[in-house]
Amino acid sequence: MNEAVRTCLVVDDSRVVRKVARRILEGCGFNVEEAEDGSVALVCCRRHLPGCVLLDWNMPVMNGIEFLKALRREFGPDRPPVLFCTTENDISFIEQAIAFGAQEFIMKPFDEAILLGKLEQVGLL
Amino acid sequence: MDDLLADFLTETGESLAELDVALVRLERAPEDGATLSLIFRLVHTIKGTCGFLGLPRLERVAHASENVLGRVRDKVLPVTPDLVSAVLAGIDRIKTIVAGLGATGAEPDGDDAALIAALDTASEGRAPPAAMPAALPVTEPASPVAAAPANAPEPAAEPPGGGQTIRVGVDVLEDLMTLVSELVLTRNQLLQIARGHEDGAFAVPLQRLSHITSDLQEGVMKTRMQPIGHAWNKLPRLVRDLARDLDKKIELTMLGAETELDRQVLELIKDPLTHMVRNSGDHGLETTAERRAAGKSDAGRITLNAFHEGGHIIIEIADDGRGLPVERIRAKVIDKGLATAAELAGMTDAQIQGFIFRPGFSTAAAVTAVSGRGVGMDVVKTNIERIGGTVDLKSVAGQGTSFTIKIPLTLAIVSALIVEAGGERFAIPQLSVMELVRAGAAAEPGAGQEPGATVIEHIGQTPVLRLRDRLLPLIRLADLLRLDAPPARPAEGAASLHIVVAQVGGAIFGIIVDRVFDTEEIVVKPVAPILRHMTMFSGNTILGDGSVIMILDPNGIARATGIGAGDGRQLAEAHGDGLAPPGARSDERTSLLLFRAGGEETMAVPLGLVARLEDLPREAIEMSAGQAVTQYRGALMPLVALTGEIDLARPRQPVLVFTDGERTGGRERSMGLVVDAIVDVVQDALRVELAGDRPGLLGTAVIAGRATDVIDTGYWLTRAFHDWFGKAGGGPAGRGAHRVLVVEDSAFFRQLLVPALAAAGYDVTACADAGAALRLLDGGEMFDAIVSDIEMPGMSGLAFVGRLRAGGAWAELPVIALSGRANAAEIAAGRAAGFTDYVQKFERDALLRSLAQCLAARGEQRLAA
Repeated sequence: MNEAVRTCLVVDDSRVVRKVARRILEGCGFNVEEAEDGSVALVCCRRHLPGCVLLDWNMPVMNGIEFLKALRREFGPDRPPVLFCTTENDISFIEQAIAFGAQEFIMKPFDEAILLGKLEQVGLL
Repeated sequence: MDDLLADFLTETGESLAELDVALVRLERAPEDGATLSLIFRLVHTIKGTCGFLGLPRLERVAHASENVLGRVRDKVLPVTPDLVSAVLAGIDRIKTIVAGLGATGAEPDGDDAALIAALDTASEGRAPPAAMPAALPVTEPASPVAAAPANAPEPAAEPPGGGQTIRVGVDVLEDLMTLVSELVLTRNQLLQIARGHEDGAFAVPLQRLSHITSDLQEGVMKTRMQPIGHAWNKLPRLVRDLARDLDKKIELTMLGAETELDRQVLELIKDPLTHMVRNSGDHGLETTAERRAAGKSDAGRITLNAFHEGGHIIIEIADDGRGLPVERIRAKVIDKGLATAAELAGMTDAQIQGFIFRPGFSTAAAVTAVSGRGVGMDVVKTNIERIGGTVDLKSVAGQGTSFTIKIPLTLAIVSALIVEAGGERFAIPQLSVMELVRAGAAAEPGAGQEPGATVIEHIGQTPVLRLRDRLLPLIRLADLLRLDAPPARPAEGAASLHIVVAQVGGAIFGIIVDRVFDTEEIVVKPVAPILRHMTMFSGNTILGDGSVIMILDPNGIARATGIGAGDGRQLAEAHGDGLAPPGARSDERTSLLLFRAGGEETMAVPLGLVARLEDLPREAIEMSAGQAVTQYRGALMPLVALTGEIDLARPRQPVLVFTDGERTGGRERSMGLVVDAIVDVVQDALRVELAGDRPGLLGTAVIAGRATDVIDTGYWLTRAFHDWFGKAGGGPAGRGAHRVLVVEDSAFFRQLLVPALAAAGYDVTACADAGAALRLLDGGEMFDAIVSDIEMPGMSGLAFVGRLRAGGAWAELPVIALSGRANAAEIAAGRAAGFTDYVQKFERDALLRSLAQCLAARGEQRLAA
């Protein structure tokens, strides 16, 4: 895998969640970028398309679903792979996210084993 | 995981503050989709995040709260006050748990079963009974959620501008500020050294260094700035709960929430502000029933307004409630032994209201659950003063109360005036400096004075300065600090004193210093612990020349000299315009000047009538066309001797100077009444027992236990200027035991009218404004006639008479208008408003005639009826 693939964009409005994800991801060699909402994430992607995106849905300004739609419209259906991140309350949004082009979903709270497992499933590890 | 927890606490703290505001907003506007989305997201984020940190208690409570909100968002449940209360209860619990977490690093123990059950009940609301929120399949996949958050930008959700931000620890900023402060000091020192070598090679780089330092200082200060809205976040919630608990309707308006101030200042005013808003809601605003009865809107209004003004932040807290009840405060003050009834009689309403700032005072008749928990307004005042701020209050009965807080933008670097006393330099914060006055010493009044020069006078042992319309007590800084006399500077001598006029709350006083230097930006260093008990100093600083000087605390100085103690009470005792007692009956205490003229008996005149006291040397008195005159303030001032003749054998002549107070527009006229000796100033009732049968005397009153002749100022004024009161004429008024109320804001005219009317046989009561008069009406007082000024601060004479005519016990009373410059249109307007008659202010005899006519006409009406 080349360097570009090893970059992960973490999109979440909570600093705590971003930090948790960053620790896990950096622990297995990812470069981590952070964005606190969908619109910031979109700017990041335009500047430099990450290898994958870990995406929360409930965020201010632009939520995860809207970001996903914009991302797929702009960069095509497969790149970059998106891990849709949610809580057990938001199951309906998992269906929506998959429909709009997310590759995988992950439940909060996740730990290292769960996150790495999911990354493996989308072929990033 | 420690720093994760710290991040979590910060993030959650911010979310919680935002939640309080948003929930109150939602309750008022249940259809506000953007607010609902914001609330949902914040709770959702808290829940989602605490899972990562292993905080099961928090997660369960947040989860249950989120369920309720989710059902509101899905429009299954309507927004009701009960529902919002349930969610607020959940948020309160989250706060408790977060607080415990912050203190100990672990979730505190506790049982949330009841709360969660209540939240679950709320979430079931009218929903199908079997619904399990977590497993509930969402029936409409195309729910509007996706669109909602994008509709409107949530207020305050993210820093404005969308720029990149990073988080920096507060201690880093504090350290930076300290370093910048040191840099400013070093820069000042360098500039001082360079001042002697203007052409040196250092001049240019030094100038650059100076500019960069200023920019850096500004930049670092900016990093410490936070919008005041941060301190207000808790208020909507507080007001909402207050309204619910007290069963009142309260509207909270917050203006200028984006006004920025130093976070250190922000932290320090947070609690005082909260307390004041709570007080406004609890004590200030009436119940809905009371408001309706008073013809006001159901909902009481509390308005917070913050703005910048001249390097300071002004914060106003205003309510449209009942106003501070002067009578109840008066009763409480006496009850608590804070002052005697006699002392209170000499105070204005504003001064009496000022007692709420005194320790141990609380206005609520019964301590309510909401306010009055022992932390009173005295603590608020102390806290604000501690950061170099001031707090003033203004209250109008029936219309509301407003507090104005003035605080410096920052505490670290302040603008200060550098002065010298006793050979030492001191800094006085610019915030409390009103003006600088140069005055001649009291030792040489009249002799060689330039016309118009300000002179220090003495009343008893107290040096005072008459500055425009105010008598200011003076404090000699060197005496106060027990400094040795400075080396004499023959060039200036005693004839030139510098007085720094300082204001602390409502009290204004002068500080006598030897020299005044420049205004400088000084870096405030805390006072060393060994000096901390000396409240006259608020800190110290290093000047450009490297010397360390003390920063004076005007609050402390006022306290040390007793000026602030009574909130300007000492001032009022020797006061002219503005602070004279409203509602002062003719038998209540006033300040009286005692003097001797032509005998051993003392004579008296109300001090408020006397503009100045002079002690003229014989040479200063000239004779002009048979009239004794003196050069005074660039004009000839006629002198009239009480004894009839000026004894030119005496080396010095004490003179009472009267001024006609026609300050606006026309020129000021003065006359001097020559007496033998000035004896004292006393506080006593001015009750003229025996009407005078000698011209020039109102009569005899018992003052300080002795029968004392009270002079008729009006008589003596007309001896100097025949037209002092306008055209003369008319005979003495008819006498009777009629009660007359005088409403007049000018102390000069009030003190002129009350003795004159009293001498004419009326029982006179005087008020300084219409509000005070209306309180007498409310108090069930009855009069036979009212004499009212037209132009008064607050309610004008026209509005006042309109209010009287609208109904009530005084609706039929004759009301005579007093006006400075009556023209036909004004008289017509006055009559239309309900005035019975119109009299020019200076025509005392015309007033007596008019009063007699009105009362006679009223007597006839009564007989006829």
